[in-house]
Amino acid sequence: MNATAVNAARSHPPRFPARRHLTNAAPPAIALLAGILAWEVVARAWGVVFFPPFSAVVVRLAELTAGGRILSSLVGTLTNLVIGFTIAAVFGVGIGMLMGAYRKVEMALDIYVYAMLTAPSLVFAPIFFAIFGLSRASILGVVIIYSIFIIIVNTVAAIRSVPIALVEMGRSYCASERQLFMKIILPAALPLIFAGLRLGIGRAVKGTINGEMFITAVGLGAVVISAGRRFDAAAVLAVLLVIIIIALVAVKIVQIVDARMTGWLPSTARQQRTRRGGGA
Amino acid sequence: MIEISGLAKTFPAKGKDEPVDALKDVNLTIQDGEFLTILGPSGCGKTTLLRMIAGLMDWDDGEISVDGKPVRGPGPERAMVFQSFALLPWATIRDNVAFGLELRGVSKAKRNARADELIDLVGLRGFETRLPGQLSGGMQQRVGLARALAVDPQILLMDEPFGALDEQTRRLLQEELLQIWEATRKTVIFITHSMEEAVLLGDRVALMSPRPGRIVELVPVPLPRPRASAVDAIEGSAEFAKITASLWRQLREMQLFRRHSAQGRHAPSEPAA
Ligand SMILES: Nc1ncnc2c1ncn2[C@@H]1O[C@H](COP(=O)(O)OP(=O)(O)O)[C@@H](O)[C@H]1O
Ligand SMILES: [Mg+2]
Repeated sequence: MNATAVNAARSHPPRFPARRHLTNAAPPAIALLAGILAWEVVARAWGVVFFPPFSAVVVRLAELTAGGRILSSLVGTLTNLVIGFTIAAVFGVGIGMLMGAYRKVEMALDIYVYAMLTAPSLVFAPIFFAIFGLSRASILGVVIIYSIFIIIVNTVAAIRSVPIALVEMGRSYCASERQLFMKIILPAALPLIFAGLRLGIGRAVKGTINGEMFITAVGLGAVVISAGRRFDAAAVLAVLLVIIIIALVAVKIVQIVDARMTGWLPSTARQQRTRRGGGA
Repeated sequence: MIEISGLAKTFPAKGKDEPVDALKDVNLTIQDGEFLTILGPSGCGKTTLLRMIAGLMDWDDGEISVDGKPVRGPGPERAMVFQSFALLPWATIRDNVAFGLELRGVSKAKRNARADELIDLVGLRGFETRLPGQLSGGMQQRVGLARALAVDPQILLMDEPFGALDEQTRRLLQEELLQIWEATRKTVIFITHSMEEAVLLGDRVALMSPRPGRIVELVPVPLPRPRASAVDAIEGSAEFAKITASLWRQLREMQLFRRHSAQGRHAPSEPAA
């Protein structure tokens, strides 16, 4: 992918860009406001301790942030997330490529990948705890278990989806195996690989928080646990808000990298891929 | 010179499918600078034959050689134009045309200059930085042709290159191909299932029969060249009508024969072209 290709793709904007932008932005904004409003009204009317209104949650969030608890936990959580997801992405894409390229590797590993993909990932937390104890490695293990298999499955599909005609074209122009991979297979597979990474980052956020809640006394997960023990519902929901924001930002970052690297993809194909990717 | 002798290929049985005798005893010699068209009904093994000449597929028996050297794989003296265009959707038109040169390690400046020359030749100037998805089918196949010409091959292998295009576009491209060929005189093997196309373009038409595919006849086309500027006159000529009519007679016979011989057995399946 080079800059000229991206520019060429950008030189053809959708037909009614401004209008489309507005109509696309309005529904989620309205839905969000309506949701917050409903939350506030229902919580106030109900008046129970375990369901505080939105405003109370925001106040609690401000208090926690001011006390420094959120920020210090955030650093720990983000570190776990970034390291864990990076390992999962590198090995997930690597293993997926091997499985996609070599039938025998796929036949050998397929059953494990699908077993692990459907197994509830948190089951592995005690095992990591037994092996690594109260260390970062335990949490990273959980993050990786949560996210790597969906990345593998999507990478296998990505390699499989590379049009045979393109590979044959490369061969007919005497491409070496390395050239075939770097100049045809990899760029052709990239859109679906990124679909897997987007699903993977979402799962990695879940894995990080669950791992922290289960295993150690650090990170946002630990804040949730201690707030829960104190029956501080507002604090639990406040941390939840932070976690959701982390997840959205993380997905957005992957999306931006994706758009930069696969800018050539027609917008219709992009939408289809997103739908398929989001549904899995 | 391309020499093909005793070429045979059987696709092994797969699951419930019986083995397919795709080619049997194909013999063919193509002279340097000749434009040979191969005509045959769909599924008779045309693509299989061309992929073997391109070095993309193994065969069971026989020999293919180019200038006396046996074909063992793809080579720089052969370039292929694909029915499905096979363009890289993420690469600009310029990068697509330069792709064969890029694989050969030609420097960026050199290959871009060469690509622009060919983009000009096929009439796509101004589209250098577009992506294939932004071009019509006819324009995409012009890119495919330019890419093949860019590596300056001795032999062009074309597998129904205009088969996916609409009639008007196809006629325009036929004229352009004639023009380019008459200027460069490369050896061309051009596959088609259109009798008119085979006769209009070729010096000779190799007629193939289905299952197992064989060359049943080599029909010379004694129409004058250059033809690019006289396509209408040629297509209206008595000679043109005579050759296409005789080709049609033979093709029809093949189909009838095939239908009869298939009775009682399973119906002949129509494979994708
Ligand atoms: N890779 C393959 N495996 C099995 N059968 C094949 C394969 N490729 C082609 N065939 C069969 O060989 C026959 C000739 O195919 P092809 O060369 O594509 O015909 P054409 O190009 O003339 O339409 C067909 O019956 C087709 O089904
Ligand atoms: Mg074919």
